[in-house]
Amino acid sequence: MKRFWSWAAFGFGFCYFFLPMVGMVEFSLRMRRGTYSLDAYRSVLGDPQFQATFGYSAVMALLTIVFGVFVVVPTVYWVRLKLPRLRPLIEFITLLPLVIPPIVIVFGYIRLFNTSSLLPMTGSAFGTDVLLMLGYSVLSLPYMYRAVDTGLAAIDISTLTEAAQSLGASWPVILLRVILPNVLVAVLSGAFLTFAIVIGEYVFAALLNRPAFGPFMVWAGGNKAYEPAALAVMTFALTWGCMALIQLVPRLFKHQRAHR
Amino acid sequence: MAFLDLSNLQKSFGGNHVVKSFDLGIGQGEFVSLLGPSGCGKTTVLRMVAGFETPSAGAIVIDGQDITTQRPNQRNIGMVFQAYALFPNLTVAQNVGFGLRIQGVAAAEARARVAEMLALIGLPDLGARYPYQLSGGQQQRVALARALAPRPRVLLLDEPLSALDAKIRVSLRAEIREIQQKLGITTIFVTHDQEEALSMSDRVVVMNDGRAEQIGTPFQIYSQPSSRFVANFVGTLNTLTATILDPSAGEVGMAGQALRLSAPIQGAKGSQIALALRPEALHLQGHKGAVLGQITTLPAEVTAVEFMGAVIRLRLQSGGQALALDTFNRFDHAPPMVGDHVAIEFNPRDLIVLAA
Repeated sequence: MKRFWSWAAFGFGFCYFFLPMVGMVEFSLRMRRGTYSLDAYRSVLGDPQFQATFGYSAVMALLTIVFGVFVVVPTVYWVRLKLPRLRPLIEFITLLPLVIPPIVIVFGYIRLFNTSSLLPMTGSAFGTDVLLMLGYSVLSLPYMYRAVDTGLAAIDISTLTEAAQSLGASWPVILLRVILPNVLVAVLSGAFLTFAIVIGEYVFAALLNRPAFGPFMVWAGGNKAYEPAALAVMTFALTWGCMALIQLVPRLFKHQRAHR
Repeated sequence: MAFLDLSNLQKSFGGNHVVKSFDLGIGQGEFVSLLGPSGCGKTTVLRMVAGFETPSAGAIVIDGQDITTQRPNQRNIGMVFQAYALFPNLTVAQNVGFGLRIQGVAAAEARARVAEMLALIGLPDLGARYPYQLSGGQQQRVALARALAPRPRVLLLDEPLSALDAKIRVSLRAEIREIQQKLGITTIFVTHDQEEALSMSDRVVVMNDGRAEQIGTPFQIYSQPSSRFVANFVGTLNTLTATILDPSAGEVGMAGQALRLSAPIQGAKGSQIALALRPEALHLQGHKGAVLGQITTLPAEVTAVEFMGAVIRLRLQSGGQALALDTFNRFDHAPPMVGDHVAIEFNPRDLIVLAA
């Protein structure tokens, strides 16, 4: 009897999660009347606006990842090495983007960096792109920080640093040749999460008026019938692909095999 | 002048004085061990030499060059850590070649040096392996090769054998000493294991409470401890109380007998003096290899027998004093049993006068 209820709970959860997706996939294949086809996908992929917005968001995601790595890895490393007492404070700061709504953050940006401010970043497309990238970095901070922090916790950074110093290495060499390669898997996990967040982000891009993929999805949802379902399926696939890569990447690094 | 000179070295963390006026001169090619209990400051001294800690006062001079304020990566000092500290993402060969790459040594020369180092540590075929594929002993040998590859001026060993099992520890300490002598590299070895310090070193520094309690050869440290702390810390010791009979003649009274020590003693006639005797200086009467010269005999009762392999340690009670006696485990001499009454002998010249 106990087993029955276990299976029943599992079946309910499975249906609750997967049936809407099955319905969405099925709907996305019904663009051509009377038969299943990939027309909606073809239409989406052939849409120049899709290509432009997806390309824009992908580039922004990559820039966000690079910026995040250069800011987060040295910060977490330094806090763990020299300022361990500041860890609770840093953790608190990195959690703020989860509790402050993005709309509040972006209004703050607009207020601080508008054209009549001391630093009028919204006055040019490039400046706004930089602002957007910084905003994305803030949004992805909780995930990137935790991924890197967990990676650094797994190695004895203090002794490795001293070993490298005694061999003549400078701080940049230690970071690039000793620390970063040993937390690369953690960094990539954070990177994939960042990519997934940036690709689907709407509020920042819409309010800063940048041609990103998030606003395009919302626009398509309001103006097309089958394409939004195809877009949603593709976005799901992309997110799941990122999650799969997080699982797969450690297997590609020989020296990580011992930890598994 | 010493090759490595540590003068008036001090280190405080907040109000805690971890190292208090530490002086030591080390000759080129010398192997010196810093020996002491946990918290005595030995690792802090080593870390100051490496540059990982800045001295609160004092100077560190290598070959006439003051390096007290130099950064660790500018000192050209090799270091081996207790936790191996091999870079997990690099192969053995890449680990050994790391310092050479930093120094900008040409690729061909670096390859040759790495091969030379791997041959030196007896692992010539393991260059392509990753650290996780090696045993603890192999990892520590690679760490040694990595520290030696850039040809440092001084080699620092921070309890490198502590994480290894007993058998590997013994074989590796012999290997380390052999390599050190072969290369003639000035070495400081930090350990809390007296056996390691005594067996490997040219000189031993016994540290206590942030100071060098005694500096001397292993023989001097063991046979002529300068203080009660050194005598107690290095080896096992029987402490005895005697009465001074004639200070200038070095004569004391103990258990109703007058004993003549090897040298005159400080103190007033009739006052008490603390003496020490190593367990191996005591002998069972009638056993082979017993005492030569003037002999003092004491009656004793066996309270415990500890089998230690090649040696048997007898715990004895004699005239109200607890004593330990080490005797070789010999097939032709069965050890006494608990409760047996035995006669023990020693030469009074083996007695060590303990300073306060």
